[in-house]
Order: sequence, then structure tokens, then C-alpha cells
Amino acid sequence: MPPKRVLIADDTEFFRAALKDILARAGYEVVGEASNGAEAIELARTLRPDLVLLDVVMPIKNGIEAAKAISALKLPIKIVMCTSLGYEPIVAEAVKAGASGYIIKPPSEAKVLAALNAL
Amino acid sequence: MDTSKYKAIYLQEAKAHLSGIESGLLALERDPSGKETLDTLFRHYHSIKGMSASMGYTPIMRLAHAEEDLLDRLRKGSLALSGALISALLRCLDLKRDLVGKVESGEPLDASIDPFLEELASASRPGQATAASPSASLPGIAPGPQAGLRLSSIMRVEGRVFDELLATVGDLFMVLSSFRALTHDSRSVEFKDGVHLLGKTIGTLHGSILSARMLPIEDLAAGLPRIVRDLATGSGKEVSLYTEGMDISLDRAILEGLSSPLVHIIRNAIDHGIETGSERIASGKLSMGSIRVRAHARKDRAVIEVSDDGRGIQREALRRKAADRGIPLEKTASMPEKELLKLVCLPGLSTAEEVSETSGRGVGMDVVKDAIEGLGGTLEIESEEGKGTKVVLELPRTTLITKALIVGTGLERFLVPISKIEKVVETSTEEIADGTFGYEGARLPVVPLASIFGLPEKNGGTTTLVLVDGGLALGQGGLSRLAALKVDSFGAEIDAYVKPLLPPISRLWGASGMTMMVDGTPVFLLDVQQIISRAVEGA
Repeated sequence: MPPKRVLIADDTEFFRAALKDILARAGYEVVGEASNGAEAIELARTLRPDLVLLDVVMPIKNGIEAAKAISALKLPIKIVMCTSLGYEPIVAEAVKAGASGYIIKPPSEAKVLAALNAL
Repeated sequence: MDTSKYKAIYLQEAKAHLSGIESGLLALERDPSGKETLDTLFRHYHSIKGMSASMGYTPIMRLAHAEEDLLDRLRKGSLALSGALISALLRCLDLKRDLVGKVESGEPLDASIDPFLEELASASRPGQATAASPSASLPGIAPGPQAGLRLSSIMRVEGRVFDELLATVGDLFMVLSSFRALTHDSRSVEFKDGVHLLGKTIGTLHGSILSARMLPIEDLAAGLPRIVRDLATGSGKEVSLYTEGMDISLDRAILEGLSSPLVHIIRNAIDHGIETGSERIASGKLSMGSIRVRAHARKDRAVIEVSDDGRGIQREALRRKAADRGIPLEKTASMPEKELLKLVCLPGLSTAEEVSETSGRGVGMDVVKDAIEGLGGTLEIESEEGKGTKVVLELPRTTLITKALIVGTGLERFLVPISKIEKVVETSTEEIADGTFGYEGARLPVVPLASIFGLPEKNGGTTTLVLVDGGLALGQGGLSRLAALKVDSFGAEIDAYVKPLLPPISRLWGASGMTMMVDGTPVFLLDVQQIISRAVEGA
């Protein structure tokens, strides 16, 4: 089976780098990185990853809006929300918008893999 | 999470967020209703909180968390913005900067943040709460340009890399200088051509590195609004800042060197130039004072003007102060305007009557002038009583490679900047027996370099004089700006990469920089003006 292709969307390079390392170690292929919601939608459309990790608080379009738009593409893309503690109510909304899982930051290897394995 | 690995990214991003917070808070103070500003600020705090939590930098995380909450309330309209709140947020910003600095230097984050959290709490009394759904609290709902997959053509490189590159080119120039010296004795055309080509190539490389080192003044000026605000608040005045031409770019080393003189000039303008609101109204001005920083390029130099609309420099007070410093009133009575205003830069002279907390007794225009001249620049003052003062700085936009002449006295070598040299002459000791040298109808003061630096002086036979521009020599009645620097010998003219003197030797008398010769010996670049004026004054 080819490695799962992942798109990471976070406005912070810090978290993008951390997620990228965790995913690479676990055998995922990071095919793109977006630093805002609009870019995430565009990259999801053009790169067609298997999986998108979406930060919630992002400029231009936030993670919820991006999740809605990516779901609306009707492509086989799974969405996992990444968010800070205290934003759980928003995750519920994201699930309604089409997300299949979530990770609470900071993203430890165990947390990320648990969330991805549960998909 | 393996934190050590991410520390560099953390520091870089945290600093960017902190500058974003600073400009955001100042923008918010001007326009409290700025919805986008509030959203952007919220995201900055949110990011810092998240990163700091991941890295285990708890004090920074706690601060950012409290601030994020406040910003959220401001966005929802359940909290009204006040000056006290902005001030509290700015103070928390400074604290976070300190803490991030401690992260960088590996110090423990042991600052007590509770007083800051309390200040935030007391500055934010709850107002009318308006119901808002969680989704309404999400920021960043604005139509943006379509983003594509692009690799940015801009690279982030640490500034010191460019310093090292430039230093290396400086070394190449030194090597080139010694090759050039060899071509004089060589008959090989190939060798001469090769050295010529080498020189051209190093010149091109130098040009590319210099242009890569250029930064817009904006990078420096971005911090000015905050400084103006704090100084004005501190002195109970209202001052607005206007900037123009901040896209003009300068070498980062010059820009760095400009930083403290610029702040000093602005501090003087606010403390001593701009009047209090009531004084201003009484003299028919707007109660709010203004400071303008304008920049424009003049060939390869940048002109930066800092003007205020304050009370201007009081000529009579200035003359009295100059008299206290030993320049008689009769002399200043006939002085041209420009020369008179230059007296402001005499060490220790100030026209400010009262002592103020921020700039002492106006101490520092001499320091400012020294610093600007150390960068190869000039400083001029224009002022109209009652209308305001303008300080005009002219600076090289690129520098650090200086054409200089090697001179020797005893076993020591020094560099004299070519730009200061009028002529080099050989003469006999008898010609200068009376301590002066006749040149174009004037008697120039002879200044022996050896005695200036306490070195043994060679006497008898022929002697070498380097005629230099000593700047404005007050003791000479403006007859000539030239003086004769007496040395034992002179060598080649070289392109020297001159490093500015940095602490702990930033104030070495008589020198404005240093360079390493190819053989590794350090050589100082002489501050000709300082040497001549000391020698002439002391004579």
C-alpha cells in the first residue's frame, strides 16, 4: 500500500514543522503545507491528499470554513482538526462540517497517531 | 515533543508575532474599531500561546492566554478598549520580549508575571456582554486572494551570515591589495591581467553582497511609533509621528548604527523641542505636536530628516551656554547661522533649561554627531525659533569597504581614510620647526601622530606629512580646515573592510574602526577629525 498523502494547514511554521516530523517518522508522505484556510482549500483541490490536518485559528479562512469547503469538493479526503485546549466546542462544529477527528495541541506523536489510526 | 529541535523556529516565529502585536496594538489605539486588527492580534496571541505551551514556556503561555481572552472579549464587544488597557497590553508585550530573550539565551523564565496579569485584569472592567456563538468568535473571515503552490523567492537568512560574507570579501580585498603591490615589480602581462580580472570579480561579488545586505529604513522605523508614544506619554505631551520615504534601503550595519542616534534625536525633540499642549495653544499652534521623519536617496547616500514643530533652538540661550563652555559671546555674535547651530553638538552643551528624566540635560547631541560621523555620515541642524527644529542626517547607503592609506609611525601602522586626505608631502624637519607647515599661503598646524598615541617620535632628516581635512576647527577662525598629520612613512592605498568598533572598545579615542591586515594584525582606522581637533585645542 502506498503511504498516505497528507496536507498540513497551520498558520504557524512551528506546528507545521512539528507535525511534519511526526508524520514522516510514522511513514506518511507530507505532500503540501498551507499557512491559511484559503490555501488549504486550494491545495486540497489540486494535490488531492488522502488526509488534511487543519488548524482551527488561521487567517483569511479559518479551519471550520476550510473544512466545509474541502468537504464540499466531494473528494475522498479525510479531515482532522488540530486545535488548542479550550476549543472543543468548535471541534463539534467542525465534525458537523465534515471533519473525522481532532488533535488537541501540542501534537505529540502518540496523540497524532491515535487520531489518525482511529480514522 | 522534542523541544530543543524546535527552539529556533519558535524564536523566529515568536519574535515575528511580537512585532505583529506591537504594530497591531498601536493601530488599535488609532482606530479602536478595527475589526481586522482585532482578529489579527487575536491570532498572534493565540499562536504564541500554542507554541509556548508546546515548548513548556509556561509564563509566556499564561500571559498570552490571558491576553487572548481579552482580545476575544474585545472582538465580541463585551469589553471596551481603553488607553489603560493598551498600555497594560504593551507592558505585557515588553515582558514577553524579555522572556523570549531569556529563552534565546537559555536563562530560566523566572520573571514574576502575576503583577502583569493583575494589571490586565484591572484594566479590563467588564462592559455590556453581547451573546455570541463560538463560531462567531473565530477570526479571519475575510475574502483572500486565491493561493497557489509557490515557493517564495524571498529567503530568510540570519543577518550575521551577511556580516561574515562581507568580512570575507574584505579579506579578499586585502589579498588583492597585496597582489596589486606585486604587479608593480612584475613583468608578466598574464599576471597583471589576472590580478586585474580578480579585482573586477571581487568588485562584482562585493556589489552583490552589498545589495543583499540592504534593508528598508522601515525595518528600523517600525519601532518608532511605540517609542514616540511612550516618550510623549512620559512627558505629558501629545505628539504624532509622520514618516515618509521609509522604503529607502541602507546597509543593515548602517541602519543598526542609526538606531540609537535616531532615537536620541526624537527623544530630544519630544523632551526639549515640542512644547506642552497649553504652551502650544498659547502660541497659536495645535495642541498636538508633530515629528516627521523623511528619507530620500541622494546618489549613493541617504538623507534622513527628523523635524519637529516645537519651540526651536533659542539662539541667545545657545550663545550663553557656549560662553560657559569657553566660546566668547563676541565670537558667536558674528557666527553664521549654520555654524552657530553646530554648537549644539559641543560636548555637554544643552539649551534645555529644565532637567528631564528621559534625556537628562539634553546630553547627547555630541554623542549623536560622533555616532553619525562614525558611520561615515554628516549631521546638520536647521532651526527656526518658535517654529521648530530639523536635524538632517546624510549617510552612506553602503559602506564598510573604505579606501585608506597605510601610514606608519615607529613600528605601528594606522589607516587614514582617503576621503579625508588632501595631499601627502615630504618635507624637511626644519620646514616644520615652529609646529606649522606652509601650504597654499596658510600655516597648517602640524600634528605628530606618534606623540598623539604616546609613541616614540622620529626626528631629523625628511619627514612625511599627510594633509588632512580636520573638519571645523573652531580655534582657527575658519581660515583652513586642513591640518598636517606627521608620520614616519606611508605605504599602499588599500580597500579595507573596516569593522565598526563594538563593545567593549566602542569608544576608543582617535579610532573609528579597525581592520585585520592579511597577516592577521589589527590596524585602526584613524578618526582624523577627533585627533586634529583634540591636538589643535590642546595646543
